[in-house]
Amino acid sequence: MINSSPITSWEGAGAIFTFAGGGAAFWFWVMAILLIVPLVVALRAEKRAEDEHDKK
Amino acid sequence: MTPEEIKAAIQATATINLEVYYYWATAIMILIHAGFLMYEMGASRVKHTLASGTKNILAFAFMIPTFFMFGWWIYLAMTAGFIPNFEAGAGGVPWSDAMGPNLQDNASGVFVAAFTLFACTTASILSGAVIERIRMMSFIILAVLLGSVVWVLSASWGWHYDGWMTKSLGYHDFGASGVVHMISGFFALGVLINLGPRIGKFNSDGSANVIKGHSLPMTATGLMLIVVGFFGFLGACVIFPGTAVSFHETMWTNIYGQPTTLSAIVFNTLMAVAGGIIGCYVMTRDPFWMMSGALCGVISAAAGLDLWYPGLAFVVAFLGGLLGPCAAKFIENRGIDDAVGAVAVHGICGVWGLLAVGIFMGGYPPVSETIPAITLWGQVVGIGVMAALGFIPGYVVSLIMKIMGILRASDAVQAAGMDVEVVGDAYPEEIRTEIN
Repeated sequence: MINSSPITSWEGAGAIFTFAGGGAAFWFWVMAILLIVPLVVALRAEKRAEDEHDKK
Repeated sequence: MTPEEIKAAIQATATINLEVYYYWATAIMILIHAGFLMYEMGASRVKHTLASGTKNILAFAFMIPTFFMFGWWIYLAMTAGFIPNFEAGAGGVPWSDAMGPNLQDNASGVFVAAFTLFACTTASILSGAVIERIRMMSFIILAVLLGSVVWVLSASWGWHYDGWMTKSLGYHDFGASGVVHMISGFFALGVLINLGPRIGKFNSDGSANVIKGHSLPMTATGLMLIVVGFFGFLGACVIFPGTAVSFHETMWTNIYGQPTTLSAIVFNTLMAVAGGIIGCYVMTRDPFWMMSGALCGVISAAAGLDLWYPGLAFVVAFLGGLLGPCAAKFIENRGIDDAVGAVAVHGICGVWGLLAVGIFMGGYPPVSETIPAITLWGQVVGIGVMAALGFIPGYVVSLIMKIMGILRASDAVQAAGMDVEVVGDAYPEEIRTEIN
């Protein structure tokens, strides 16, 4: 199990999200990369549609 | 309890109430997006319906992570212009303690959420203008540029207590006539110039044809949903009192720190909706434009919703209702195909809204020595800044896309219907056959 907790007690806790103690930026970049994927999907769909219909 | 304990308890209650208030304002704002979804699908011909809907939904989905990634940081850091203040922006860095679940911070999440929905609204305005011919990938990139960068920059300048337009011009734009509507309208104009019209929109002599959407009832209902959503939008333009992040202990304020009330906002918002609808009815007798008239009215009155006399809000909105259809016709006569009148409704009515504040709102005292009073000059300069800040990025980036050949779908795909790029059919075959 990955230890992602930035806290050891709820007493006086502030930022409680996973990897707030360090490593959150890594997940930020994973998210950023995932946002490229739909652009590629859209581009491929556009190209496929054009290939099919431009021939007709 | 000691007086200090009572005070702390009151402030804790106020903080929770702030959280509740913006949480639900954000939820109501999602109705704007639901409305734009119906509006755009109804305004599309059957063979383009799902592509228009998909585009709109993706704009919503992309705005959320991208605003988180850099939008909020831009808002906090760029108040002085194009040079960021890294210290001021520290709380908006996406991996900072404020940008996630934090038991000591009840405000950042709901503020980011509300601003994210403002960003979604801004991107949706572009979405309608470009239906039936823009490519999906290019649209997504343009929507992110508009919603998570350009409008946020304008908000940082003119919709922030420390913004340079606020501090040097006394720029007053309570409900975002300029920072949301003008920006998106002029951005859309820049894109439309490069995108070109839908096939069949203009004849060889330059005259325009009417391209009817497939469902006016869907469009009109969508527009009414947008009106409902605007109550969340405009409610979120007000700062909750009595907390550590409030401007005032006991009074609501606008985003510039000037006192107001929710009663003021609702008085004038209702008047603006009515004035815009009636103005558009007088001008067109067209149900499509009557509902767009509600938007014309709200956008025209938005900049001063905290201060109008309700009768004057009605008049300003009525004039906006007359202006919207005229501006749309003027734009069409210039050979620009704006499928839903977004440039006219948002861009031109936004100009009128800022100008109206400059004309009618002299004499209101500033809230501090660092902010000048409202002036006609300040509003006129603000109009110029908003027009340029919206138009230039939209025009330049779409021009680059046009040169690269990735902006506009091929004529064959447009003729077949943009729905060939997505999976599914909007309607059963027998209905499509009848409507097509």
